[in-house]
Amino acid sequence: MTFIGLNHYLVVAAIVFVAGVFVMMTKRNAIGILIGVELVLNAVNINLVAFGRYHSTGSVDGRILALFVIVLAAAEAAVAVAICTNFYKNLATIDVDRGDAAKG
Amino acid sequence: MSWYEQFLVIGTLLPLVSFVLLVFFGHRLGKPNSGWFAVAGMGISCVLATIVLAGWHGLDPAEQAELQAGAYRFEWASMGDMPITLGVKLDSLTVIMFFMVTFVSFWIFVFSIGYMSGHSDEIDGQSKYHRFFTFLSLFGFSMLGLTVSSSLLFLFVFWELVGLCSYFLIGFYFDKKFASDAGIKAFVVNRVGDFGFLFGLMMVFTFLGTLDLDQAAREFAFQYEAGSGVFGTTINLFGWEVSGMTLATLMGIGLFCGAIGKSAQFPLHVWLPDAMAGPTPVSALIHAATMVAAGVYLVARVFRLLTPDAQLFVAVIGCITLTMTALIAIVQTDIKKVLAYSTLSQLGYMIFGLGVGAWVAALFHLMTHAFFKAMLFLGSGQVIEGCHHEQEITKMGGLRKKMPFTCWTFFVGVLAIAGAGIPWTSLGLGGFHSKDEILAVALQRTDYWPPEGVEAHHAAAPVDDGASYLLVSGSNQEGGGQAHGQPGHGEAQPGDQGQARHAIPPDAHTADQAAGAHGVDQHSLLALASGTKKLPRWMFWLPVIIAYVTPFYMMRVWWLTFMGKPRDEHVYEHAHEMKLMYVPLIVLAVGTAFASYWIFRPMLASAAPAATDATLIVGIDGHATDAGHAAGLMMPHAVHSNLAPIVGFAFVVGFVAAWLIYRNGLALATQISRMPVIGFFHRILVQKLYFDHVYNFVWVRGCQGFAWLCRLFDTYVIDLFFNLAAKITERFSAFSGWILDAEGVDGVVNGVADSMLKLGDTVRRPQTGRIRNYVLFAAGSAAVILLGILIGVRL
Amino acid sequence: MQTCSTYSRTVGWTTACGRRAVSAAALIVLLTLCAPVLAQDAPTPGQEAPSLALDAPAEVPAATSDSPVSAVLEAAFFYGFALVVIVSALAICISKNIVRMAVWLFITLGSVAVLYFLLAAYFIATIQLIVYAGGTLVLLIFGVMLTSKSPWARFEIKRGELLAAVVVSVLLAVALIGTLMGTEWPQDQPAEPHAVATLGTELLTTYLAPFEVASVLLLAVMIGAAYLARQEK
Repeated sequence: MTFIGLNHYLVVAAIVFVAGVFVMMTKRNAIGILIGVELVLNAVNINLVAFGRYHSTGSVDGRILALFVIVLAAAEAAVAVAICTNFYKNLATIDVDRGDAAKG
Repeated sequence: MSWYEQFLVIGTLLPLVSFVLLVFFGHRLGKPNSGWFAVAGMGISCVLATIVLAGWHGLDPAEQAELQAGAYRFEWASMGDMPITLGVKLDSLTVIMFFMVTFVSFWIFVFSIGYMSGHSDEIDGQSKYHRFFTFLSLFGFSMLGLTVSSSLLFLFVFWELVGLCSYFLIGFYFDKKFASDAGIKAFVVNRVGDFGFLFGLMMVFTFLGTLDLDQAAREFAFQYEAGSGVFGTTINLFGWEVSGMTLATLMGIGLFCGAIGKSAQFPLHVWLPDAMAGPTPVSALIHAATMVAAGVYLVARVFRLLTPDAQLFVAVIGCITLTMTALIAIVQTDIKKVLAYSTLSQLGYMIFGLGVGAWVAALFHLMTHAFFKAMLFLGSGQVIEGCHHEQEITKMGGLRKKMPFTCWTFFVGVLAIAGAGIPWTSLGLGGFHSKDEILAVALQRTDYWPPEGVEAHHAAAPVDDGASYLLVSGSNQEGGGQAHGQPGHGEAQPGDQGQARHAIPPDAHTADQAAGAHGVDQHSLLALASGTKKLPRWMFWLPVIIAYVTPFYMMRVWWLTFMGKPRDEHVYEHAHEMKLMYVPLIVLAVGTAFASYWIFRPMLASAAPAATDATLIVGIDGHATDAGHAAGLMMPHAVHSNLAPIVGFAFVVGFVAAWLIYRNGLALATQISRMPVIGFFHRILVQKLYFDHVYNFVWVRGCQGFAWLCRLFDTYVIDLFFNLAAKITERFSAFSGWILDAEGVDGVVNGVADSMLKLGDTVRRPQTGRIRNYVLFAAGSAAVILLGILIGVRL
Repeated sequence: MQTCSTYSRTVGWTTACGRRAVSAAALIVLLTLCAPVLAQDAPTPGQEAPSLALDAPAEVPAATSDSPVSAVLEAAFFYGFALVVIVSALAICISKNIVRMAVWLFITLGSVAVLYFLLAAYFIATIQLIVYAGGTLVLLIFGVMLTSKSPWARFEIKRGELLAAVVVSVLLAVALIGTLMGTEWPQDQPAEPHAVATLGTELLTTYLAPFEVASVLLLAVMIGAAYLARQEK
C-alpha cells in the first residue's frame, strides 16, 4: 500500500528541470549558468532513480546510470569552474555577455 | 612455457626496453652513455641467448622435440573460427639464429660506440648520436622478434619493422641527398617484394586456414597427400586454368618474393649496394649479418610450403644472383661496395642452396657468413674511419703497418669467405664447409639424379607400408665414386636391408628408428625424388665458377687496402685504429675461425624440418647428425668426395690470380681492363650490368612517359572536346543571354539575392553570442515540439 | 544560530545570504541525516531495524512495506521534501545574488538526496550528498570567490528576455508535465530495493567498461582543469 507513485517523482523532476532551464536562460553570471546545469542534471537523476525503482525487473541500470551522471556532473563542474576562472582572467569579469565572440 | 621460451622472449623484449628508454631519455644520456645503454640491452640478450644455446645443446633430440611440441601458444585474436596465435617457435634454428643475431649485434653495437664517437653528427644543433642507438635497439628488437615468431603473421609484422629500421638507418645521414635517396630506394624496392609476400600470406591463410608455421606445414603436407585443399582447387583466371599444383607453387613463390626483396636477390638486388650510404656498423649489422639473412631465414621457415617447382624457382633466382653479383664485385673500387656485392653473392649461395634442397648447408652458410661478413664490414669501417671517410681502395694501400689488427682479422674474413681449408679433411674455416656442402648437394641434383634404384623400389613398395624406410646411399667402397643407390626396405627385403646397412654409417640403424619416430614416409620421399627433375648442368657449374671468383675479388680488396705501397700519402698519414673498434673484430674473427663448424653444424642438422611428401631435403650421409635425424634424402658420401678436386683448391687459384694482378698496385689491372673484349665486359660490370639504368628507364621514365602521354591526351583530345563544347555554349549563351537573362532571369536572381540578404540579416539577429538566448531557443523549441505532440495525440 | 553568526563574522559575506536561507540549510542537513532512519521505522516483524541505510540488505524493504503507517510516513516525507526541492529550485530562479543561489542549490541537492532515500537508492543518496553537496557545491563557491571582485555583483538582463524566458519555461513545464501525466507507464509498483553490494558487483562486472572509462575521464578532467586554471607565465 503506497500513496506515492512514479508520476509524483516525475513531476518533481520536471519542475526542477524547468527551473534549471530557466536559470540557464536568465543568468548572466557564468557560475549561475553552471548552477542551472546542475539542476537539470539532478532532475534527470531523479528520473533515472525513480524509473529504476518502479521498474518491474528491478534492474540496477537506473542507479548505475545515475551514478555515472553524478560522476559526469562532477567532472563537468570542475572543468566549467576552470573555464570560468580562465574567462575571468581574460575578460576581468564573469559576465557571459562579454564573451560574445560567436555573435553572428 | 619452458624457460627456454621465457629467456627468448625476455631477450627479445630487452632491446625494445632500451629502445623505449632511449626514445625518451636518449638526448639526456648524451654521447657515449646512450650507446652503452643500447649495448647493455643487447648484451643481456646475448647472455640469455648463450644460456639458451648451451642448455639446448645439451638436450637430446627427443627432449627438444617434446619442448617444441609443448611450446606455449597465446591466442591473440580470431577471425571467424580461425585463431591467430602468437608464440615462440622453439627449435634449434631459432636458438642458433637468436644467438647469432644477439652475438653479432652485441659486438657491432660495441664497435658502433667507437665508430660514431668520431663523427660530427649535429643537425640543427641536435646530436644524432643517441638516435643512432635508438634505431639500432629497435632493429635488434624487430630482428629478434622475427626470429622467434611462431606465426607467419607476426613474422611479417617484424619483417616490416626490420625494413623500417633499415630505412631509418640507411638514411641516417638524411641531410645528404644520396643517403636519403638510398633509404627511399631500399624501402620502395622492399615493398615490391613484400607485396609478393603478402600475396603468399593471403594464399596460405585462404588455403591452409592458419598462419602458424607448424600447422601450416602439417596442413600442406596433408593436403598434398590427399590432393585436397589447395591441391584440389582449380581456378579459372581470365581464361587460364590454374591447377592446384600451380597454385601451391605460386603460393611458395609469393612467400619467396619477400625473401627476394629483403635478401636482395635478382631482380630486386639493386637496393643493397646503395644501402652502403648508411653508417658502416649499419652495413655490417643490417646489410650483411642479420637483416638480409632474414630473407634466407624466411625461406628456411616456409621451406615445407614450397613445392618442387617453387624450389626450382628459388634455386634459379639464387643461381642468377650469386653469379651476377660476384662478377660485379670484381670491378668495384669502393671497399664497402665490394663487400656489398660479395654479400649479395653469398646470399645467392644460400638461396640457391635452399632451392636445391640443401637446407642444413644453406643455413650453415648463413651462420658462418654472418660472422665473417660482420667482421669484414667492421674491418672496412675501421679502415674508413681511420682514413677519414675515404672509401676508395684505389687510394689506400699499405695500411697493414698502421692497422695490424684490422689487417689480419680482415684476412681471416677473406680466408673464410673464400672457403679456405684443406680438402678431404674437416680442417677449414667456416665458408669451407658450408659452401662445399651446398655445392655437393647441387652436384647430386645435377649429375646423380634421381638416385639410382629409386623408381624400381617405388614400384615394388606397398603403398601402405608405413614402417619401411629407405636411405639413398652410395656404396663408396665398390662404386668408385659412382652413386649406387641401395634401397633398404625393412623386413620385406632382408637382403637389401643388409646391403644398405653395409653402405650407410654404423649409426644408421638409429637413423631408421629416428625416421620412424618422425613419421617420415620414405616411400613418398623417393616418389618425390623420382618425380623431381634433374637440374640442368649449369646450375652446378655456375656456382663452382663463382667459387673461384670469390677468392679473387676478396684477395683483391684485401691486397689493395692493406698490402703494397701507400697510393695516397695523405690518407696513409692519418690512418690509425681504435681499441674499441678492433676488439669486436678479434672476437668475431675467433668465432669465424672456430665456433661455427663444431657447434652450429650439428645443431642445424637437428633443426632441419622433418621431410614431408612435398618437401625435398637432401642431407649429407657422412654426417652422423643428419642421418640421426633422417631429415630427408641422404646424399652418398662419394658425391661429396668427388667435389673436392673440383673446388677444393679454388681459393688458392683465386688468391694467386689476384696476387699476380694486383701485387704491384693498379697498373696491370688497368692495362687488362683496357684490352678489347675484356674492356667491353669491364665497362658493363662497372655499370653494374645497367640494372639501375634499366630500372630507371623502365619504371621511373616509364611512369614519366605515361604521365606525358596522359598529358598529351588531356591537351589534344579532352581539351579539344571541351573547347568545342565551350564555343558552342558561348554562342548559345550569347544568344539566350540577350533574350532571357538580361531581363527575366536577372530580375529573378536579384530578387532572390535581395530576399536572401534580408533573410540572412533576420537569421543573424538571434545569433547574439549569448548562451542564455541559445538555451531559450532550445527550450522553446522543445516545448513547442512536445506541445505539438501532446495536442496531436489528444486530437 | 550562534555558530552561524560567528561564521558570518569570520567570512564576511554570509549576511548577504540571509539568515533564513542558512537556517533552512541547517535544517535540511539535519533532516537529511534523519531521513534514512525515519523512512524505515516500520520493520517487518521478527527482523531488527537496520541502524544504517547503507547496510540495508535487499530483503528488507524499507519504504515499500505494506504497513499503512509506513505508507503515510512515506507520503508525508515525499510531499515535504518535494516541496522543499521545488521551492528551493524556484528560489534559485528568482534570486539575483550568486551566493544566495549557491545556498539554495545546496538545499535543493540535499532534499533531492532525501528523495533518493525515499526511492530506496541509499548509495546514490549518499553519493549525492558527498559528491554534490560536499564537492561540487564547494567547487562552485570557490568559483564564485575566484571570479568575482564582489560576490554579490548583479548582472541584470533585459525585461524582454526575462519575459520570453518565463513564457518558454511555463510552456515547457506544461508540455513536460502534460506528457508524463498522459503517458501510461508500464508499472507503478515499486520493485525490491537492492543491496549496495549488488550495485558494486554490477559496477565491476557488467558495467566495468564504462566504469573504467569514467575513471579515465576523471583523470582527463583533473589534468584539463589544472591546465585551464593554471597561472599564466
